Amino acid sequence: MTAVSADLDPRPLVTSLHRRGVALELHTLDLCFLAALHLRAERAGLASFREDELLDVFHQVVALTKDGAADGGDGRKKRATHVVRRLRDQKLLVRVDGAGVVRSGEYALTRLATGIVAFYLEDEALTRESLGVLAGTLTACLEAVRDAVRSPAAEGADDAWWRANVVGPLRVTLFELASGIERRQRGFDLQQEAFQRDIGALLAADWFGAVERCTVLLDTASATLRELNDMLLRHGHRFGELLQEVLERATDAEKVEAERAARDAVEQVERIAAWGAARQRAWSDYHEWVHRYLRDVVRLDPSRTLVHRLREQLAGRGGKAYALTVANAPAIRLLRAVTAAPPDAPVRRPRKERDAKLEPDAAADPDAALVASVDAALAAGARGLADVTARAVGPDDELDARFRAAGKVAQIVARSAAVGAATERPWLPAGDGIVVEEWSLDVTQDADAFGAAGLDAGAERAS
Amino acid sequence: MTDTRFPRLEDAILDDAFPELDLALRRGRHVDRDDAVWYALLVDAQDHLEPLYRRYGCELVHKSDGYFYLLPTNDRLGRRHLSAAEMLVGQALALLYLEPGTVETGGIVTREQVLAHLAGVVGSDVLVRALNPKRRRYDERVAAETVRAKVADALRRLATLGFVDALDEPRYRLRAPLLRFAEPLRGAGSPAAHLAELVASGELVLSEDDGVVETGDDADDDATDGHADADGEIDVEAVADADDETPEAPR
Repeated sequence: MTAVSADLDPRPLVTSLHRRGVALELHTLDLCFLAALHLRAERAGLASFREDELLDVFHQVVALTKDGAADGGDGRKKRATHVVRRLRDQKLLVRVDGAGVVRSGEYALTRLATGIVAFYLEDEALTRESLGVLAGTLTACLEAVRDAVRSPAAEGADDAWWRANVVGPLRVTLFELASGIERRQRGFDLQQEAFQRDIGALLAADWFGAVERCTVLLDTASATLRELNDMLLRHGHRFGELLQEVLERATDAEKVEAERAARDAVEQVERIAAWGAARQRAWSDYHEWVHRYLRDVVRLDPSRTLVHRLREQLAGRGGKAYALTVANAPAIRLLRAVTAAPPDAPVRRPRKERDAKLEPDAAADPDAALVASVDAALAAGARGLADVTARAVGPDDELDARFRAAGKVAQIVARSAAVGAATERPWLPAGDGIVVEEWSLDVTQDADAFGAAGLDAGAERAS
Repeated sequence: MTDTRFPRLEDAILDDAFPELDLALRRGRHVDRDDAVWYALLVDAQDHLEPLYRRYGCELVHKSDGYFYLLPTNDRLGRRHLSAAEMLVGQALALLYLEPGTVETGGIVTREQVLAHLAGVVGSDVLVRALNPKRRRYDERVAAETVRAKVADALRRLATLGFVDALDEPRYRLRAPLLRFAEPLRGAGSPAAHLAELVASGELVLSEDDGVVETGDDADDDATDGHADADGEIDVEAVADADDETPEAPR
C-alpha cells in the first residue's frame, strides 16, 4: 500500500470498482503484444506509436508466436483491430493525439500496461547492490530534508516553504525510493518461492546426488538473506533517526501536512525493516527443516529403500501389520474437596404483624388542576366560556378527556364568575374538536347574582 | 554437560520444566528437538532419568533421529497400542515426511493432503474398508464421511502424542518421531527379523491378521463409533469435539 492510498477508505473504492465493473481480460497474445510495444518504445525512444507502427508490431508478434499465422492479410488486420480495441477498452492503450477522425491516431501504453509488462520483463529482486544504492540515495534524501528543517529558514517559514522542502521530497522522492525497495522485496519473495520449489525438484530428480547442491543453495540463500536483513536493520535505524527529527520539527512548527508526510514515511521505512525480520524468521524454520531432512532422511536412506518399503507396507503388500506401543498412564485423579452443606433453618412463626397499620392519606382533588387553570384564565382576562375552555383544557389530551374537561370548566366557571347569557347563545369553538355554548363572564360580580347554577350550559363535540 | 547441569537426579526433578515433561512422557508424548526446553532437559538428565523410569517399568528411549519417548515394558504405568486408523495415518505421515515434495512446504501438510496421499497409496476402497471394519455394507457417502472423521481424529491423537504439530486447523507440521512408524522397515537386514526384534522388545505388536490391527485400545475407535447412529451416520462435529488436550511443550 502506498503512502497516498493508505489514506483512502477501501469501502467506497471497492464499491466504485464493482459498480464500474472493472475487469481485466488478457490473452497470451495481448500480453506478448504489450511486451513487444514496451520493448520497441524503450529501444527506439518512442513516446507513442502511429497506427501503422502498432500494426507492424502486432504482425511481428503473430509471426513470432505463430498464433493465428494462418490468417490472411485482411484477417490479421482485423485481428489487430480487435486486439487494439480490447486493449483500449481495458485502459491499457490510450490514444494521445486527439485528432479524432481527421487523421489516423497515435497510441501510447498506459501506466497499467507498463506495470503489467514490467512484472513479466523486469527481474527486480532485492540484491545487496540494489539495496545499497537505493538505501544510500534514500539516506541522502532524508539528510537533505533534515538539514532543511534544521536551517534558520525553517523558523517561521510558511506552508509553501514546508511543502517545497519537506512534504514534496518526502511524498515524491522518499516514496519512490522506498517503493523501489518494497517492489524488489516482493521480487525476492517470488525468488524464494521458486527456490523452495527448486530444492524439492532437485531432490525428487536426483535424491542423494542433490544433497551437496541443496546444501550449497541453502547456505547461499541464507547468507544473502542474512546480509539483506543486516543492511535493512542498519539503514532502517538511520532512516528512523532522520525521520524522527523531521517529525519533531514539523510538530514543533505545527505544520500538519509535513507531520503527516513524515509519519507516513516512518510507517513505510518500518515496513521495509520488518520485512527483513519476518523473512529471516520464516527462512530460519525452512532452513532448519531442510537441513534436518537432508541429514536424517536423504543421507540415511541413499537408495530410498525406506520409502519403497513404507509405501509397500502401507499398501498392504509388505510384511505383517503392526501397531506401535505408547505409554498411556491415566491422568492423576484429584478428588474434589467436599464441603458439608449447612442444615436448613427451622420453620418459625413470623414475629411481625402480618397486616401493616393504616396511615392517613389525604385524597387528592382530581379537579384542582382544572380549577387553577380556569382561575388563571379568568385572571388573564378571558371573558367568554369558549375562551376560558380553550385556555384551561390542554390541547394534548384525548378528545374524550377534553370533552369531559369542558363540562367541568363550565361548572367551575359558573362558580367562579358571574355568567350572563343572551337568549340566542352562539356555539363557539373552544380548542381543537370542542364547541361550547358561549357565555359572557363578569368576574367583578358575584356568581350567584346571575343564578348561574341554573343556566343550561352545554358543550358539543365538533363533528 | 550432564555433570554440570544436573549433578544429581534431584536437580533434574527440581527443574521447572520437569513436572509437565514427566506427565507428557507418561501419556505417550514423543519429545523432539522442536520441544527445545524439554529436549535439552532430557538430554542433560538422561543418565539420571533412565534408571528412574526403569523403576516404573518403562524405558526412556532416545532415538538417533533426535527424539525421546517412554516405552512401557510392563503394565505398571499403563500402555496402549495405536489403533488401525492411527497406524494408517501415522504411516502415511511418515511417508510424507520422507517425500521430497514436502521439503517445498517446510514439512507442513494439510489434512486433505494426508487423505489424498492415503487414498493414492492404499486405494480408496481399501481405505474405506480399513476404517469401516465392522460394517459389511455401507453407503458410499457415509463411508467417505467416516473415513474423513476417523483420519481427522487420528491426526488429533497423533498430535497429542507429539508425532505432528497441529498448527491451525487443518495444517500440521511433520515431526521427527514419525520415523518411528517406519522403524521396523529400516536397516540393511531383513525387515522380518528386525520386526521380530522390535516385537520382542515391546516396541510394537503384530496384528492378528494381515489386515487391520485390532488392539485392545480400539476402545478409542469405539468412542468414535459411538457417534454413529443406527444407519451408520457419523456425527462429525461430535467426533471433532471429542478431542484430547495436547500437552504444550515450552519452546
